Amino acid sequence: MTALCGTCFSLSRRAKLACLLVCFAPLASAQQFQFNFDRLAAKASDTVEVSLDGSTLQFAAKFLDSKDPDQDKVRKLIAGLTGIYVRSFEFQKAGEWTAADLEGIRSQLKTSEWAKIVSVKSNEGETDEIYLRKENGKLTGVAVIAAEPKELTVVNIVGPIDLDSLAELGGHFGIPKMDTPKKDTGKQK
Amino acid sequence: MDWLERELKGALSREEPPADFAARVLRRASQPVRPVYRWPRWLAAAAAVIVLAGAGLEYRQYRGEMAKEQVMQAFRIASVKVNRIQSAVEGVGK
Repeated sequence: MTALCGTCFSLSRRAKLACLLVCFAPLASAQQFQFNFDRLAAKASDTVEVSLDGSTLQFAAKFLDSKDPDQDKVRKLIAGLTGIYVRSFEFQKAGEWTAADLEGIRSQLKTSEWAKIVSVKSNEGETDEIYLRKENGKLTGVAVIAAEPKELTVVNIVGPIDLDSLAELGGHFGIPKMDTPKKDTGKQK
Repeated sequence: MDWLERELKGALSREEPPADFAARVLRRASQPVRPVYRWPRWLAAAAAVIVLAGAGLEYRQYRGEMAKEQVMQAFRIASVKVNRIQSAVEGVGK
């Protein structure tokens, strides 16, 4: 990319713009949908923002301890990933986020590449959605929207990932896995 | 003040050097000068390289640990949410 950008200096203005697009396209496309929660971050009592591209993930993988069961599972999960982006907000009181905050994301997930595989709404006001992104029949990304009255979380995992393994990991982080008796007919998704 | 003048005159009066003074000076001058010990430049450069490499490795370790913590945090959040959604879906079929 550096060599390519180096040649840009001798190009016309339009060519330079095109060159810039080519140079930075991988950075722009790392995240599969855009989210801007600056408004919510200002209101939140607790905010988690994680943006990790592929190179950082692979770099971090070298520091994950294979003797630690959780870290070993994460190390295996991130093997083929090229990015993970998390925004999670906790609020002191309900009603700080609105459906409009999620509309921008949902509209981006209505394209043909994305398919909503799960949508759960509870009486307690929780709304959870999982979207899968497929390109040429291959899983290339996952989007998770988990909205509770006092908490909002959006996750974009870029790359192929096994959701069952990811869900299983959820029961290992000091939080008991919420196992429910499975139906004989299998999972309902 | 006479005594002071006398003392000064005595102290500053011209004296002839010993007879072998010139010979001793010449002998001493002909001896090789003992070099002042200086650290070799390559050793200073090597030390600098080692210090820089150590600092680089330390910084790499720090960045790695930070990245690892972020990865673990991201997966902690994602997995708990997916686990909850999956459990809710499975719960529907009960």
